Amino acid sequence: MQYQYNEEQSQFKDMLRKFVQDKYGYDCHLALCKSEQGYSEEHWQQFAELGLLGLPFSENVGGLGVDSGFLMAIAEEFGRGLVLEPYIATVVLAGGLLAKADNSDLSNVLLPKLVAGDLKLCLAWEERASRGNPLDVNATATRSHIGDNLLINGEKCVVLGASSADKLIVTAVAEDGGLNAYLIDCDAVGLHVQAQTLADGQRAGQIRFCNVEISADAALFSDGKAAATLQETLHEALLVMAADGLGAMDQLLALSLDYCKTRQQFGVPIATFQTLQHRLSDMMIACEKTRSLLWAAFQVQGSSEFGERVAMLKAQIGSAGRYVGQQAVQLHGGIGMTEELSVGAYFKRLTVLDLLCGNRDYQLNYLAQRQTQLTVDAA
Amino acid sequence: MLIEDQHSVEFRAEIRAFLDVAPSEEILEAGRKTTSVFAPFKETMAWHKILFRQGWVAPTWPLEYGGTGWTVEQRYIFAEECNRRGVPPLLPQNLQMVGPAVLGFGTQEQKEEFLPGMLSGEDFWCQGYSEPGAGSDLAALKCRADSDGDDYILNGSKTWTTYGHHANKMFALVRTSSAGKPQAGITFLLLDMNFPGIEVRPIVGLDGCPEQCEVFFSDVRVPKRNRIGEENKGWNVAKYVLEFERGGSSFGAWLVPALEKLRARSSLALDDSGRSVADDVHIQRRLTELEIDVRAVEHTEKRVNANLKHGENPGPMASLLKIISSEVMQKFSELQLDIVGLDALPLQTAALAVGSDIAGFGEESDMLVMPYYLNTRAASIYAGSNEVQRSLLAKAILAS
Repeated sequence: MQYQYNEEQSQFKDMLRKFVQDKYGYDCHLALCKSEQGYSEEHWQQFAELGLLGLPFSENVGGLGVDSGFLMAIAEEFGRGLVLEPYIATVVLAGGLLAKADNSDLSNVLLPKLVAGDLKLCLAWEERASRGNPLDVNATATRSHIGDNLLINGEKCVVLGASSADKLIVTAVAEDGGLNAYLIDCDAVGLHVQAQTLADGQRAGQIRFCNVEISADAALFSDGKAAATLQETLHEALLVMAADGLGAMDQLLALSLDYCKTRQQFGVPIATFQTLQHRLSDMMIACEKTRSLLWAAFQVQGSSEFGERVAMLKAQIGSAGRYVGQQAVQLHGGIGMTEELSVGAYFKRLTVLDLLCGNRDYQLNYLAQRQTQLTVDAA
Repeated sequence: MLIEDQHSVEFRAEIRAFLDVAPSEEILEAGRKTTSVFAPFKETMAWHKILFRQGWVAPTWPLEYGGTGWTVEQRYIFAEECNRRGVPPLLPQNLQMVGPAVLGFGTQEQKEEFLPGMLSGEDFWCQGYSEPGAGSDLAALKCRADSDGDDYILNGSKTWTTYGHHANKMFALVRTSSAGKPQAGITFLLLDMNFPGIEVRPIVGLDGCPEQCEVFFSDVRVPKRNRIGEENKGWNVAKYVLEFERGGSSFGAWLVPALEKLRARSSLALDDSGRSVADDVHIQRRLTELEIDVRAVEHTEKRVNANLKHGENPGPMASLLKIISSEVMQKFSELQLDIVGLDALPLQTAALAVGSDIAGFGEESDMLVMPYYLNTRAASIYAGSNEVQRSLLAKAILAS
């Protein structure tokens, strides 16, 4: 059972950490947060050169075809370094779904461009009412008057990477009631993207589709596999996002330990106070429990248990990330409440992560319902 | 709730009639857009001035200095009605912090010089207590005031000075002696922010807005007649004021209607099917748990206030109130974040400025949820961290 990065993954991770340390000071993070684009195109091209954009994809589209451990390694270092580029949005979410699509005409053309850094994608699936459930979709794909064309209508919320994407993949319910996913150009007529800056500086978008006309061959799936594949893709993305969160939590613990050892009050380092020592221990416990559940989920990827373990992981990162973030701010006191230290930026990153893709409440309900269903099935 | 007696009913009606007409649109907008304990400056001071003209600005002050003479119950009714109407909470510096210091320790001359401006809102006073090296350990402060004839000469810096960039006056704790215990050499001074040698640097908070400031002093001359209390006895003044700051609170008056609004928000339809977040039993339970906490805070406040004789301060119960009210506000801010969900994620600082014509995403009340959550983390840090409060409380109960 794998409970840590293997040698190859570790080497890759060390390389990544050095890359992130060199490129992303906290000043750079702040500057990118405030920039119009919200990330650096130069960094994106460097990701392409390092092969990061092709990691999970097969070699015939220019990728490296490696396992999710490498994606976790990247995400952990990106979380630790507060990286803002839309990596998860493009590579893991949209790219992940595209790579599994039946429509290989689309994936064979688009994935090489994505891998080369020439194309950015986003996956528009969350809706206001879905509250984290990817199968709960109000957006529709109906037949238009022209040939086999389709009309997309609906609204998607907080679509990660929407403001920088060239093309998007949207989930919608077809006329037969089945879910499918469709590829659309971001400048299509009737498509309105309102760019958003999330609390942690990440860019996203609110997207409205008003009779957006697309041809039938823009559909990713042909045989009803869309729902299962979408869920699988989101589960993989949650694994990677949790690794990002864990990187941020580890860094907050490290920063808090340093601060408590050096900050003097009442004539002694504040780490001398037992109440703060226990707090630091509890933060460490939260990080380690999260790490265990991360690997527990990684181990069963591809099996029927994966969804359950990922839901546990996401629920855990929700509460543990919130606890570690809040306590890191508390231990730093006033200065933790400002933009001047990175502590607040990690706290905000973890706050956003909890709410994306099904928050803790959603995951708990999902797990409880799943358990009830298993009991019913067994009876 | 108990049925109010006739006097209270009439009093409530009088307050309500005034609140219906007195605040301007801008003042109400500022009230809605308050995401911190410190409401937007300009509109809040405009509201302060309106209340002053009405004679209601300082319910906790003695009648002869501009107080209202209201009973504890009437003060709570006033706070409840203000929250119901949604006016911004007044900034506490003038009325709850420096005012009580001057009332308690100032000379007759100082009272006449300083109290009228605090009361009317012509002056805004900021607090110069914390320093980079003196936070929880406030007595470690180093900002020096050296005696020079009729003046002190001030050198050093202060931090976490809320709205220092808006203030024209400051009340400060400074070091006048390094002999003896650290608490023994501290003096309470009043100064003008336009005295030569003062520099103010705003600090940007987690929500992207400047609320706190750093203030630097280089050879700032402060007349000795601006000293409150005796030289080296400023700690007593500060302690007295801190207990005022911690006691006499009415967070319950804010929390009860806020919880009602949150329940309503959780019942809003998410789409055409009419389902809502409140369909989730788990959310219902969390709301109910929070309500119990809110009621416990409300009635602890009311109980402490009711048992307090005029001019008394609440002692260790002040620490208890600070802990439970800050923690219930934080719990509230978290549940609100979980209920609003994705709609809370975009941080929309520009759209939230009072008078802004920038249209944001979604409902205005949803935009406030994230900055409120972020800002409310400060509640367990400021005015004596909750760790310090728990130590004070432990000391008090172990000693008894």
